[in-house]
Amino acid sequence: MTLIDMRDVSFGYSRQRKVLHGVSLSVRQGVSVGLVGESGSGKTTILRLLLGLARPTGGSITFDGSSLDPSSRTFMRDYRRSVQAVFQDPYSSLDPRQKVHDIISEPLQSLRIPGSHPDAVAAALDAVGLPADAINRYPHEFSGGQRQRIAIARAIVARPQLVLADEAVSALDLSTRIRIVDLFKRLAQSMTLVFVSHDLGVVASLCEEIIILERGHIVESGRTRAILDNPQHPYTQKLLQSVPRMPGQGRTRGKQ
Amino acid sequence: MSALDETPPVAPAATRKSRWSLTLTIGLILVGIHVAVALLTLFWTPYDPSATAGGRLEPPSLSHWVGTDRLGRDFFTLIMIGSRIALVVGIGAVAIGAAIGVTIGLLSAFATRFLDDALAATLDILIAFPVLLLAMLVVAASDGASLWSAILALGIAMSAIVARLTRILAKRVLQNDYIIASRTSGTSWPGVVVRHVLPNIWPTLTVNFALQFGIAVIAEASLSYLGLGAPPPNASWGRLLQEAQGTVYTAPIGAIAPGIALVTLVIGVNMLADGLRDIGDPTRRVSR
Amino acid sequence: MTALLTVDGLTLRTGDQALVSDLSFSLGAGERMGLIGESGSGKSLTAMAVTGLLPKSIRPGGSVVLDGQQVIDTSDRALNRLRGSSVAVVFQEPLTALDPLMKIGRQVAGPLARRLAREGKSPAGRDVEREVLQFLDHVALPQPERIANSYPHEISGGQRQRVAIAMALACRPKLLIADEPTTALDVTTQAEILKLLDSLVRELDMALLFISHDLPVVATVVDRVLVLRNGRAVEEGPVKTVFNQPRHDYTKTLVTAARTFDNALEGTA
Repeated sequence: MTLIDMRDVSFGYSRQRKVLHGVSLSVRQGVSVGLVGESGSGKTTILRLLLGLARPTGGSITFDGSSLDPSSRTFMRDYRRSVQAVFQDPYSSLDPRQKVHDIISEPLQSLRIPGSHPDAVAAALDAVGLPADAINRYPHEFSGGQRQRIAIARAIVARPQLVLADEAVSALDLSTRIRIVDLFKRLAQSMTLVFVSHDLGVVASLCEEIIILERGHIVESGRTRAILDNPQHPYTQKLLQSVPRMPGQGRTRGKQ
Repeated sequence: MSALDETPPVAPAATRKSRWSLTLTIGLILVGIHVAVALLTLFWTPYDPSATAGGRLEPPSLSHWVGTDRLGRDFFTLIMIGSRIALVVGIGAVAIGAAIGVTIGLLSAFATRFLDDALAATLDILIAFPVLLLAMLVVAASDGASLWSAILALGIAMSAIVARLTRILAKRVLQNDYIIASRTSGTSWPGVVVRHVLPNIWPTLTVNFALQFGIAVIAEASLSYLGLGAPPPNASWGRLLQEAQGTVYTAPIGAIAPGIALVTLVIGVNMLADGLRDIGDPTRRVSR
Repeated sequence: MTALLTVDGLTLRTGDQALVSDLSFSLGAGERMGLIGESGSGKSLTAMAVTGLLPKSIRPGGSVVLDGQQVIDTSDRALNRLRGSSVAVVFQEPLTALDPLMKIGRQVAGPLARRLAREGKSPAGRDVEREVLQFLDHVALPQPERIANSYPHEISGGQRQRVAIAMALACRPKLLIADEPTTALDVTTQAEILKLLDSLVRELDMALLFISHDLPVVATVVDRVLVLRNGRAVEEGPVKTVFNQPRHDYTKTLVTAARTFDNALEGTA
């Protein structure tokens, strides 16, 4: 089943400053997709469009068959329930004056989701590997990795179908990053993940499909393994060559 | 790393307690005294404030703790009533300034570029506008000078500054990812304001309100002097200070006593606000 | 041979907290070393201590000898001679490292003129200008004249970092400290900057102290690494040895994590 379908989407602040040029992509349920690009590639813009924070200036976006219309209250309520997000900076994405319980339960309250909210919050905390007594603390009492776990708990508490992650591990230390990637891997088994990142290594270990963006165009897309093993577009090749590698252990490099 | 990531640090219970500061205690005591005195004057004063209670300009004595004024009224009684007037002026002006200012400031922070620019320009004009002129306009528009016309004028003058501050603070808060996170959690814009914007700008606003409180109490004195404030016999500290001008060398107590009353209240309010800000801020800890 | 930089028992404290404890290492002329650590490891503070640019709130202990001069507890005036002639720093964020209100040309001319004055040459405006353009060309900036006439915000992040490197080189330091110089940059730009740093350090025979949290990045530019954790050295040695046969548990965790992403790329996971 196709969850997200973008057809020929463009976006620009003016005719001269176009940041997306006729982008078409689809996200199928249960298939995690990595959106890879550097600054100015348009990956953040695509994310903003998918979050309903901006409208495309051309083309169409549908979710589960119906058109994504940020001005329709009824559509957006359902949409917010189905699509949640995790952001890059775990320090900026949590309100410093709210307790963890209030942070995580915000989607439940705002979307008026029935059922026991404390139970749902406890379940979400458990799913991200944080102790239940975290609910009465404030964000500053946690490390960067723990904060990102709180942000993930907020994203999954309403049991969405799709989670959009924007560079969600880029700001974390390496040893923490690998744990959060593992957490995303586990979550991807029960929900669909769209992972926006500049980090090919992270996307390679998380996503089944990959979309490479350059200056508002999709230059290559498809199965992650196939593209990494045999990149066709020169930009993809350059990107892959640019990733610094660990010194070899006598093992030969891929096809590069 | 692993230990750091996996186990949340122990909650700093000790530091949480220590947020209750000396500043807050002193602020509470000073403001508390003034509030208690102000409430007391509603029921009882040592002497009748509108009648002579002794000779003119008597020095302090057991029956008149800080002496009497030019008309022979008990000076301590007047200062006690002054507490009530100062609190009414300060709280009234700040409340009006806050209500108008925060509303305009928030609107401006959320407004489109054009409306924001228009509001900012209006506020600039309002800030440049002399309070005195504003007070005269308010008096002209209402039926004569009274304590209330002074409060209204001060409140309006204050609202421009509050609005500007609110706008800047709110814009800074709106740049945080938790605002986008809140929107994508399904929270409406009014909900975002209540949940995130106000709690995050309130501490700084509170401290500003405390400053404005002091300014209002002092400004009311100038307005009274020009006949734009409360008419006699409702003596505000400002009026007492002005009346003491002529006798400041012969009877300095007339200037010292209301001065001390004014300073203790203004300092008290500021310390109270600082202390409350610290107690409300979960991130304010003794050390990192 | 005496080392260019000798750090011996360096301890940095603030209040009753030790941020760096008993750290010792040395770096010879022309040597390249990487300081690896995650947030809170004290790696950037160590760099600050080497240049004598510690915040006032931090009390240093131990010894740092740079180019024969003790850095710890030495007056700022004495250190000013050291900075520039012996050591220069390239920081993580090129936008904040440059003055937003000054044209690039003038910013590069500053350290250049100071060096010329130090070398006893009279820095005539013409000569300085010409050399500025040479330096901009040296760090592979296209159209040096245009860049020299631009303000920092008018050029890209990668170009800004090249300018910052040009400014550091203009001092002709014996030691270049690079503190996360590519962390804020795109992957392709990072590759270019690393290549540039590598060739310049070789060409100008500078020593390099490269500070980063990114293991593969460090591996591409240095020969030797020191792994820091919570202000303490946990492991030191040649890059190949440390990354292929890590001894300390912490280093093992880091290396395993880095290899996991590497392997995901190679498809050998």
